[in-house]
Amino acid sequence: MLSLLMAPTLALAVGSPAGHPTSSDDWTIHAERVYTGPGEVLEDAVITVKDGVVASITPGGKAPEDALAAHAVTAGMIDLSAHLADSRYAVEQAREVQPHLSVAPAVDLYSTRWKALAASGVTIALVSPLDLNIIGGHGIALRTAGPKELAAREVTGKPVLRGAIGTQPSGGNHPAYGRPTDFFSRRPTTRMGVEWEWRIAFFDAVAATRLPEKEFPGAEELRAALRGERVVMIQAWATQDIRTAVFLKEEMSREGFGELDLVLDAAAEAWKEPQLLMRSGTTVVLPPFPAGGRTTDQAFMAWNTAKLLTDGGVTVCLSSHGRTSAADRLSMQAGFAMRGGLTFDQALAAVTTNPAQVLGISERVGTVESGKDADLVLWSGQPFEPSARITGVLVAGELALDPR
Amino acid sequence: MKATSLRALPIILALATGVAGAGDKYAIKAGTVITTNGEAIAEGVIVMEGGKITAVGPLDEVKIPWDAAVLDVPELTAAPGFVEACTSSGMDRPNENLDVAPFLNIRDSIDPVAFYFEDSLRWGMTTLNIQQGPSCVIGGQGMVVQPYGLLVEEMMMRPTSGIVMSASPKSGKSRATQAQALRQAFADLRRHLETLVREKRAGDDRARREALYQGRDLEGERGKGRAMEGKAWKVEGLELIPRGEIDEKLEPLLDIVEGRVDVYFYCGAPMDVRLALEIASDNGFLERTILVLDDSCWKAADLIAEAGVAVVLDPTLLHRETDPKSEEEVETFVPGVFAKKGINFALRSRNTTNESLWFQAATCIAHGMSRADALAAATTTPAKMLGLEGRVGELKAGAEGDVVLFSGDPLSVTSFVEYVVLDGQLIYDRSQDVRTQHLLEGIQPDNTEAATVGEADAEGDTEDDEEEDDGEEDDR
Repeated sequence: MLSLLMAPTLALAVGSPAGHPTSSDDWTIHAERVYTGPGEVLEDAVITVKDGVVASITPGGKAPEDALAAHAVTAGMIDLSAHLADSRYAVEQAREVQPHLSVAPAVDLYSTRWKALAASGVTIALVSPLDLNIIGGHGIALRTAGPKELAAREVTGKPVLRGAIGTQPSGGNHPAYGRPTDFFSRRPTTRMGVEWEWRIAFFDAVAATRLPEKEFPGAEELRAALRGERVVMIQAWATQDIRTAVFLKEEMSREGFGELDLVLDAAAEAWKEPQLLMRSGTTVVLPPFPAGGRTTDQAFMAWNTAKLLTDGGVTVCLSSHGRTSAADRLSMQAGFAMRGGLTFDQALAAVTTNPAQVLGISERVGTVESGKDADLVLWSGQPFEPSARITGVLVAGELALDPR
Repeated sequence: MKATSLRALPIILALATGVAGAGDKYAIKAGTVITTNGEAIAEGVIVMEGGKITAVGPLDEVKIPWDAAVLDVPELTAAPGFVEACTSSGMDRPNENLDVAPFLNIRDSIDPVAFYFEDSLRWGMTTLNIQQGPSCVIGGQGMVVQPYGLLVEEMMMRPTSGIVMSASPKSGKSRATQAQALRQAFADLRRHLETLVREKRAGDDRARREALYQGRDLEGERGKGRAMEGKAWKVEGLELIPRGEIDEKLEPLLDIVEGRVDVYFYCGAPMDVRLALEIASDNGFLERTILVLDDSCWKAADLIAEAGVAVVLDPTLLHRETDPKSEEEVETFVPGVFAKKGINFALRSRNTTNESLWFQAATCIAHGMSRADALAAATTTPAKMLGLEGRVGELKAGAEGDVVLFSGDPLSVTSFVEYVVLDGQLIYDRSQDVRTQHLLEGIQPDNTEAATVGEADAEGDTEDDEEEDDGEEDDR
């Protein structure tokens, strides 16, 4: 892994202009404000980065002439719904439930979208299978810049198993009247059918422990999820789908099958029943704030959704849901969440520490701390304001966006 | 009905605050008053009379008439409303299917109760230039409106503010046929005028009989001929033809050739700019032309600078292009290119998204533009384009009494529009705005079912309730 990281590093160093650090992984950054983590800010601080990690942070320090300069520095943002593998070829639809598969082979590290994502301040993106399946398989958390090699880019934390509830997983299917006409003449074609598939999948996986003939591909992964060894990320936009997901978790618990570590993705209507999410300890990933309130599946998302949930003790993460327009970027979601009443620190947490916690990688990323990975965002003004620009981005010490 | 409820607001407010009567004098005392392009007065006062601003200045210098209703908001920032330079929102449908339709008028297509107009107030836009969409050859006549009023006539600020033309192919056309259709439209006008003059000289009054048969107005000015004006070409002898005898379908084009109407020329690609400028100069309306550009059109900036025309920019302010060989993504900050070339440019909202004018101006600042220049591109520059210089886009004596009161910096994501004053009347108050409460906090309007929490029957009903909200709140 180290050698993979070093190879392009050396290549870059040859081309770097004189007067700058010889290794591209070594940087000195000077900022008027360093938001080291939610609730903590250092004025006029100098950060040094060595070998991909933060080596030191000195408040009121004197920066060398060639230091990278910024108004503010925050930790790199983490997008749990980045949709970087969203072609139909990124999800296997032979079966509706495919927990044993991973999205990894479908990830295109040559896509130009990585660079744009990194430049928008996102340093780690969770890439997940598309929502065309009920349980699409495992997602993979990747750094947004670095070598074009999955092993070198992967940030290993808790594995994420992703699926969907709502209209999307059954969207392509249609009932067969008489003779099936094509592959998609199949069930489920409704929300209730999708719900049934979720429940039967877990039920069968548990049943297979006693009835070996019931064993199926992916059953072990589902049992691992019931043991709490997977993040079970379920896309559910509307209230009825959010309920379905939470009731599934509660049913598994009630039946003694196990405890799911449930994370709802794109839970636009989560504001309607915050106590349901508090009660069940569910984490919520929100889609971009819509101007007119309406999102996918006609789900209505109020501007104070993030505030309401945060105040209620629910862990909230913001996401771009793969959208790239100026107002849908992750940094702006933090701004819009503040428009809805979130404090700056809560908004910062919702794009850094909270998603890091979901992925189980808090020890390495999410805050600006010495010893942690140098995932840093440099801002020209107050972070999350549209009048502030992201001028520089470091991904594990590599300069993904050069502020000079 | 929505507008009625808004109309009622000032009265409700006046009663609530104990202000006597809704006279025509109105004053605002605000913590900060932004006058022109970001210039600010701390502790400022704006005095309005008869719908116009009569004085703006610091609290200790401007006298508030004793009989003026006063809105005293020391915690708020008063600013001129943003000016939308060109949009086709607020119409029932943006495009008319006819290729050449300058005889149509947007008036018949504007829906005063469209949510767009309410939303405009919520984002602090007070002047909107509504024009046909770009899928046309020559579109209908547009107009400048205020986002407030029950009837189009109440909203109107400039009845005929321009006509849209498109240098990009309308769907179903190639670039060749689009160019041909544009040239043909003016050739048809010329032929028609020449035929009228020839027939009149030959003593034939077919055109007059046609006009009478159609019941056209031939009285007064319409009954008189006038020599043709125009910079590029003229038809000799047009003074012989009473204006009422000219074909109604072609007459708006004559207004364009004579330089009496602004033309919003849409260019969907840099290559279209040349055609637009060619058509404009061949027919003498280059000085009245404003280019409405796609984000890629910064590449034609030299051509535009040379022609000296103003532009309305695409809502996408960052043009991205990928070098197919190196896969390097090249990002161009579009307003920066035009600013550098000295071209007057106006920003534009991306409608139905959060990228409204405040967001666009803030984005310009993020990319290094000065605050004054960024604000100008959303206020004074579009005001000038629309022929409303000094009337809208700034707060000064003589301007329309249009003031927006923000809870903070107008370009901050956390600021809200708290009040809007149009023509010296308070017409928007966020605390009374049911839809904003719904959008912000998910609060259901009073006369609809609230989303019941924790009850099983709420599950199926919530969606339906949501659907009805829009209709329900209109009844209030």
